[in-house]
Amino acid sequence: MSVHPRYEVVIGLEVHAQLRTESKLFSPAPVTYGAPPNHSVHPICLALPGVLPVLNARAVELAVRTALATHGCVHERSVFARKNYFYPDLPKGYQISQYEDPIATGGWLDVPVEGNGAARVKRVRLTRIHMEEDAGKSIHDAAVVGSEATHVDLNRAGVPLLEIVSEPDLRSPAEAAAYLRTLRSVLRYIEVSDADMERGNFRCDANLSLRPHGNVELGTRTELKNLNSFRFVEAALEAEIARQAALLDDGEAVRQATMAFDPATGRTRVLRLKENADDYRYFPDPDLVPLVLSPDRIEAMRRSLPELAEEKCARFERDYALSSAEARVLTESRALAAFFEAAAAAHGSAKAIANWILRDVLRALRERDVEIEASRLAPEALAALVRLVDEGRTTSKSARELVPELVERGGDPAVLVRERGLEALSDAGALEDAVDAVLAAHAEDVARYRDGETQVLNFLMGQVMRRTQGKADPSAVRSILASRIEREDEA
Amino acid sequence: MPSHFATLPELRAALDAGDVTPTQLVAESLARERARREALNAFARVRPEAARAEAAAAAERIARGAQRSPLDGIPVAIKDVMVHAGEVTACASRILEGFVSPYSATAVEKLEAAGAIIVGGTNMDEFAMGSSTEHSVYGPAHNPWQLACTAGGSSGGSAAAVAAGIVPAALGSDTGGSVRQPAAFCGVVGLKPTYGRVSRWGLVAFASSLDQIGIFAHTAADAACVLEIIAGHDAKDSTSLPEPVPAYREALTGDVSDLVIGLPVEYLVEDGVDPEVLAAVRGAVDELARAGAKVREVSLPHTEYAVATYYLIATAEASSNLARYDGVRYGHRAAGATSLTDMYFRTRSAGFGDEVKRRIILGTYVLSAGYYDAYYRKAQQVRTLLRRDFEQAFRGCDVIATPTTPEVAFRLGERTGDPLRMYLSDIYTVSANLAGIPGISVPCGFAQGLPIGLQLLAAPLEEATLLRVADAYQRRSSAHRAHPPEPA
Repeated sequence: MSVHPRYEVVIGLEVHAQLRTESKLFSPAPVTYGAPPNHSVHPICLALPGVLPVLNARAVELAVRTALATHGCVHERSVFARKNYFYPDLPKGYQISQYEDPIATGGWLDVPVEGNGAARVKRVRLTRIHMEEDAGKSIHDAAVVGSEATHVDLNRAGVPLLEIVSEPDLRSPAEAAAYLRTLRSVLRYIEVSDADMERGNFRCDANLSLRPHGNVELGTRTELKNLNSFRFVEAALEAEIARQAALLDDGEAVRQATMAFDPATGRTRVLRLKENADDYRYFPDPDLVPLVLSPDRIEAMRRSLPELAEEKCARFERDYALSSAEARVLTESRALAAFFEAAAAAHGSAKAIANWILRDVLRALRERDVEIEASRLAPEALAALVRLVDEGRTTSKSARELVPELVERGGDPAVLVRERGLEALSDAGALEDAVDAVLAAHAEDVARYRDGETQVLNFLMGQVMRRTQGKADPSAVRSILASRIEREDEA
Repeated sequence: MPSHFATLPELRAALDAGDVTPTQLVAESLARERARREALNAFARVRPEAARAEAAAAAERIARGAQRSPLDGIPVAIKDVMVHAGEVTACASRILEGFVSPYSATAVEKLEAAGAIIVGGTNMDEFAMGSSTEHSVYGPAHNPWQLACTAGGSSGGSAAAVAAGIVPAALGSDTGGSVRQPAAFCGVVGLKPTYGRVSRWGLVAFASSLDQIGIFAHTAADAACVLEIIAGHDAKDSTSLPEPVPAYREALTGDVSDLVIGLPVEYLVEDGVDPEVLAAVRGAVDELARAGAKVREVSLPHTEYAVATYYLIATAEASSNLARYDGVRYGHRAAGATSLTDMYFRTRSAGFGDEVKRRIILGTYVLSAGYYDAYYRKAQQVRTLLRRDFEQAFRGCDVIATPTTPEVAFRLGERTGDPLRMYLSDIYTVSANLAGIPGISVPCGFAQGLPIGLQLLAAPLEEATLLRVADAYQRRSSAHRAHPPEPA
């Protein structure tokens, strides 16, 4: 669905990104993935009597870095607050978060979106960025017959999260998905978060409302919880749009509520209505002092920021003469951009390398579901492969066939070309023999060519390539073919 | 064998001279605890075997001349609210019955590292909430001077233990007067340092922005000795202060001629104060004046709001701090629950006593949406005004002198039915916690056979001045040399 016929869709997103730290936000317990339950814990994570939180300085740096990378205002003073509620996986009975005084406010993200069939960039404003700790995990024994036990795993309790809240600037599920992809890319770029939805370290809640086109006043919104897979984000938003639209069509009111999406039914359902919402009794955590960052420290962190995707994209367009679409794809991840730059430097022609990456390398990666950093293809190998084509030592077609193998197993392209017998047929005599054989076998087609059906040349070329099993250099074939036909013409 | 009421330097001298061994001191301490257990109920538990083993090790160090500190080999007690690795810490609550901590509080670790021998954990009001040590799962502690009277609270057990000569020094915690008030009631010195001077790591939280570990001893000099050991910055407590710890004992010159003592007009009104208490405090100030201190009146204009402000902030923080006792991970869990909510309800209903429940409910209300601004935020604003009162007052004086309590120890059971009256007995002590300043209670006389406390307050981190004045007073007075009657 692109534009709803009757209603304008208004979406704001709250993303929880796990910060890439060694230890938890307020405890020295290590941040692990896949450790046995309750093995990455410390008395602080267990909320034993008498423990106190101590803020992880690295987490602060990563939060500031995110705010700077998204053009936000980093506050010199921010305050941690307690969000009080009871749940078995919340050991203290409160979550330490930031409430009235977050570490950063404002900023924006430029998101590539489709609009009227054309690609454009949409500026999505950010409301705020704040730090908070994750809760643990409750594991219900519902699957075990006769057991109603619930187990609690506190490995995740206290893991540092960054909550990034957008303004309600998004106008479709596709825009929401594009925003999430852009945000994920930024967080990975600046090495703040692995931002991996499948591992639960990039989670999303959405606020969604509808209003008749042209209305300024916002409609009543609902909050969609835990859109924890890219696949579900758009489907869940579409489902909630359909639900709200149906209500409005029937003249009913949308009630403020927290919703959940059920992937099995493809529908959203009410988790709880707003009037039943918890009162979290926020107040500043008296165990922690306000977080004070001097302007000098913020400035030092700004200077240490790596080149951001948008800066890199602009540089690629300018320095390598790439189109903005090409540059954007090549800068989607820092690893891919680095791969491109290394291969381009090794080869000499950035444009040629860009084409090979965009056309062949990315497809091979996609088909294998791997990222560039996990592939065995070295940038130097790609440069060498393209050079073999440039020098006519193999054909473009043969080279392209080798890309998937290089991605999977690596290796030296020159050796592979030799071992596979993929050298271009550069022996002029052999090539001429093949052309002559084709011309002899297709005299009628040659005649049609001479009658002005010049496109017949492509057919004849294909026949020669087939006869040489694709090893012939197409440009050599074309010139021999053309010269033969014309020579006979003169005769 | 030194007296049961010997000071720390006297004990040190006797130990180092070989007149007594740590083993003998510990045995005597344990025997005395046993003998007074039924009468006083000062201890929640004792650890005889561990204490004896530690005494033997201390004896060996002393024999080698390798004493770790002035406290090496000397028995002490800690309040049941600071955790001690491998030992039960229950905060006098059913909800933590039998809870064994895997780690020690920083203050406890420092005592142990200094060679002090912890003989046990002392009785208290549940989670340090109370002024009489009556709200305890162990039953009330009794005042050694008159067993029918309260030892004060919430650190009543520690105060009674020192007053009765079971240990020469003990730790307590002071959130609104819980060290100074029982010290006054039991006739011993009670020191509450500046907020953040002693690490709160391992001190089970009641009200985090007010809690501070304090010291009970017979003399200001002894309190100085213990403070030197337990004070200091702790990376595990974000609110602990970074300033280096001075040599407090060196400040005890006996000379107060360079100091000005402030008498707050708001505290010394006849109304609501026992005249004998007021007279004793005035007499103590006169004694300091004779020693050369100047005396002048000061004003703390927001004093009348202190108790209300205190009970808003303390209960708000407590309601959140005590949320962790939910029966999920440790401590008491009620049986027979039919749902999660039911488990919380049954566990907390059975696990907490009435006073704790009262404060959790109050604090939850104070923080609720729609009330936060009227109560919690307003209380924080008043707190700022109270702090400014003291800043202003300390521009004109070095220490402020007041009664520690409006009356001497009341009778057990007298106020348990009237919580508000109980809260008002904190009227002179809560301001120091709200302002974060240090305070000390020093014995200054008797009324109806019960001790009276002189409270001295000083500016933040001015413990040295505070101790100097208290010590100078004790050099010139005798109230602290009187001891409660020994049982027949």
